[in-house]
Amino acid sequence: MSNLTDNREGTQYLLMGNEAIARGALEAGVNVASGYPGTPSSEIIESLAKVAKERNLYVEWSANEKVALEVAAAASFAKLRSLCAMKQVGVNVASDFLLHLGLSGTRGGMVLVTCDDPGALSSSNEGPSRYFARMFEIPLLEPGDFQEAKDMTKWAFELSEELKNVVMVRSVTRVSHASGNVRLGKLLETKSRAKFKYDGSSLDADEGPAESVPVGEKHRLQQEKLKTATKFFEQSPFNTYHGPEKPELLIITASAGNLYTREAISLLGAEDRVGLLKLGTTWPLPPRLLKRYLSTTDKIMFVEEVLPFLEENVKVLAAENAREVGVKTFYGKNEGAIPKTGELNPDIVVSALCKILKIDYLAMDPEYEKKLQMPTIAGVPERARTFCPGCPHRASFWSIHNALQMDNRKGFVCGDIGCYAMGRFPCGFETTKTLHAMGSGAGLASGFGKLAQFGMDQPVLAVCGDSTFFHAVMPALVNAVHHKSNITLVVLDNSGTAMTGFQPHPGLPVNAMGNKVPCVDIAKVCEAIGAKVEIKDPFDLEETQQTLNRLLEDKQGVKVLILQQACALSPEKRHTKQYEMHIDENLCLGEDCGCNRLCTRIFQCPGLVWDKDKKKARIDEALCVGCGVCSLICPAGAIKRKEVA
Amino acid sequence: MDERDKIKGQNELQEMVLNTKLCTGCGACIELCPYFKSYKGRTAILFPCTLTQGRCFAFCPKVEVDLDKLSQGSFGKPYGDSPLGSYQTIMVSKAGEKVDNTGFQAGGTVSSLTLFALKKGYVDGAVLTDRDGLLPVPRFITNPEDVFTCASSKYTAAPTLSALNRAISKGFRKIGIVATPCQALAIALMRSNPLKDNDFIDPTGLVIGIFCTWAMDFRAFEGFLSARVNISGIKKIDIPPPPAEVMEIFMKRGKKITIPLDEVRALILEGCSYCIDMTAEFSDISVGVLEGHPGMNTLIVRTERGQEIVDNAIQEGYIMASAIPEEKLQHLIWASLNKKRRALIKAKQEEMLNKEGNGTFLRLRAEVLEKLIA
Repeated sequence: MSNLTDNREGTQYLLMGNEAIARGALEAGVNVASGYPGTPSSEIIESLAKVAKERNLYVEWSANEKVALEVAAAASFAKLRSLCAMKQVGVNVASDFLLHLGLSGTRGGMVLVTCDDPGALSSSNEGPSRYFARMFEIPLLEPGDFQEAKDMTKWAFELSEELKNVVMVRSVTRVSHASGNVRLGKLLETKSRAKFKYDGSSLDADEGPAESVPVGEKHRLQQEKLKTATKFFEQSPFNTYHGPEKPELLIITASAGNLYTREAISLLGAEDRVGLLKLGTTWPLPPRLLKRYLSTTDKIMFVEEVLPFLEENVKVLAAENAREVGVKTFYGKNEGAIPKTGELNPDIVVSALCKILKIDYLAMDPEYEKKLQMPTIAGVPERARTFCPGCPHRASFWSIHNALQMDNRKGFVCGDIGCYAMGRFPCGFETTKTLHAMGSGAGLASGFGKLAQFGMDQPVLAVCGDSTFFHAVMPALVNAVHHKSNITLVVLDNSGTAMTGFQPHPGLPVNAMGNKVPCVDIAKVCEAIGAKVEIKDPFDLEETQQTLNRLLEDKQGVKVLILQQACALSPEKRHTKQYEMHIDENLCLGEDCGCNRLCTRIFQCPGLVWDKDKKKARIDEALCVGCGVCSLICPAGAIKRKEVA
Repeated sequence: MDERDKIKGQNELQEMVLNTKLCTGCGACIELCPYFKSYKGRTAILFPCTLTQGRCFAFCPKVEVDLDKLSQGSFGKPYGDSPLGSYQTIMVSKAGEKVDNTGFQAGGTVSSLTLFALKKGYVDGAVLTDRDGLLPVPRFITNPEDVFTCASSKYTAAPTLSALNRAISKGFRKIGIVATPCQALAIALMRSNPLKDNDFIDPTGLVIGIFCTWAMDFRAFEGFLSARVNISGIKKIDIPPPPAEVMEIFMKRGKKITIPLDEVRALILEGCSYCIDMTAEFSDISVGVLEGHPGMNTLIVRTERGQEIVDNAIQEGYIMASAIPEEKLQHLIWASLNKKRRALIKAKQEEMLNKEGNGTFLRLRAEVLEKLIA
């Protein structure tokens, strides 16, 4: 039995925020869970998938976030409780359906969990998802700690059923990926009878067809639901206040901001001077509650990450109620106390508080800080971001880079989202030149490939991973084929959603719950779309490069090259070695003309080390996974590989 | 200043030769290291090399070529104003009775001499230029029978010297090479041991230079032809001697297509327009067509070892040779001088000669320069 299915009420576990969210869904008797992998959200679906059999759930990794939201909504329409989880960028993908879903409303409790990534620690942007709740007029909850992550998720299902609309729960990296004590509640037995009723009138929320029309009526209804939400929010135990009755400064915060602010107040010993209003229900705001606290002081500070969502909304409320609450001085993002980009931390809040409250506070003696940093600076080797030893992407980019250089027409690669987004770094030989959203590489290539009419003669490539192919590349590929765009799409097929932890995708024969499922063949899909398809092993460098050069010169339409080689960390490859590697030091040219450290200076697999004393390359036995590729690049034939029996 | 200080690395080579389009894709920098590759006639740099001095720069015939120094090394005298370079004898020649004519162009002297040198052990392998469709492909052969598979003229630049570099790295030290003038110049640079390598051994056994007026950019030529004919249907390409002024494309199905030479000249490599050498002056033996006699070659013997091989080849019936008619010699001198003059005037105007410091295109004595362009 997993911790997540422990049914002893009151038991405490140290849970990761995402596990707490999953547990909250189980306590709410969730039936269906869907999502698309993305840091920091992936563990929610993974946790639920693990207990799917035990709790009779249906859990899936969907092809993309929009489909995931639709899958979850279907369950809700059939009167089941459903949860859909994704990272912030996923909400962009799902947003078209989300807008319509808000209008059509839901039936069984339905919760959309979005995990934002302030500071873009594992993302190509730090776009906030909270604005979607306001824009699409659906309620928004933000857990301020780990207990709340569980409790709020559970309550979100109840709220969804009360309002008959989807409820958005927004987490961030430091809530999702940090851990804290969580006291468990009772697991709710799942009711399992699904039925979609549609015979009622179009305005019948329970038994009519599920649709966003008639828009006028549905929109009015949706706004009434928000008003009802406000009533619940005025009473919600997730909005808490700590501090004096008349504080010098009122801090309004939510989410991880709560953790940072509590720590900052405690560090400064400012408990008597500062009031902390932590909001759990951040859209729509409960006006009466806010008026009450706004009236307690003239100085208000907002602590929240990235864009000033709370700040803007509270300021509107304060303006509307200025006669009652009085004129305020606001501190936050617009005034400059809190940065508008990146993650927050207690130090940022401390320094903002010190300025506003005129506190002299030295977090650390500068001399001591210097001393502290000395050993770390001196002892830590310089490391750039790189692909793992044996990563097929390094081999693929090697060949792509070389093919483009040899082609000599200033060709370029449109990048995409996955580990291979690092194609723009030295580990990918700086091969990719665009990077945006999932599938954007193929879409941009489709456009570039049509510019010959305006004199563009650069060869155009796009790369995508296998999971990304299904997520968003297929429509772009259809577009490119249909419009005879002259491009080459390289599918870096490493047999899994590697970057987020090997979640299955439609190209694999197993689903999230470990069941056998039919796999969708990428090559056949591409052929059916009308592209010319070739499949190669990226570890065969010469064959791959030659194929690429041939495809680059083929000016007729869309070419797809599928480079198949499993990720070095994939469960089937891990701890296995195809080759034993060693370096013949007599042959190694080192820094001499004829090599100049190609393997350790350019190829830079972490499994290769430059021995400064001997002036020779060396295999790092601890890191080398025996893929054998470096033996193919050594100009002197000094890197030897021997097949492991 | 140490002469070696003039030798730079990849960075400067890229700046001074590749970026300026002086490169003729001769292949001297290919197969020395993993950083230079030749693809379809063009030289590409795969990755930056940080060495401040490299063989790539040292062997390149388009940068920092000191003609006096080279001539001194090859012929024991400074570079003079002779339009045909330094030589011992000039003859007309063709394949001898020991050689079956199996598809070579013109008189077959090059193939016959190569065959002879291989058979008699003057060389233990030969670097030739084969063809794959239209694309010239460098090839290193050790079997004399393979000589004739590589016969016939190629009109586009070929990285032939890459095969020489590969053969050297495999340990061959008596290599025969059939080289264009720029390639012969690069070989002379290699043989001068420019980096003063202590273990240096001359890896060549015989350098046969072939006359060259220009070469086309392969990709441009391929594009040009594919717009006119089905490339896979081409059997042979020929440029008959003046005054024809055409290129002839013979198709496998018997058709002949004639293209005005002026259209073809637009595809000539820019680097060729700076070339002062028509007769491959830095070779042991230079061979070209004999104007007005499609079945005959002009043969220039320049070195001792060249003379020995030619003499023995005549004696053993591999080639036939006779004295060159005076008017043919005068015509050759005129044509060769013309090429020199055109290139030197252009290079002088663009201030590419005898530049102070290092990194100039060509160095030659001022009085020789003045005589040649007079």
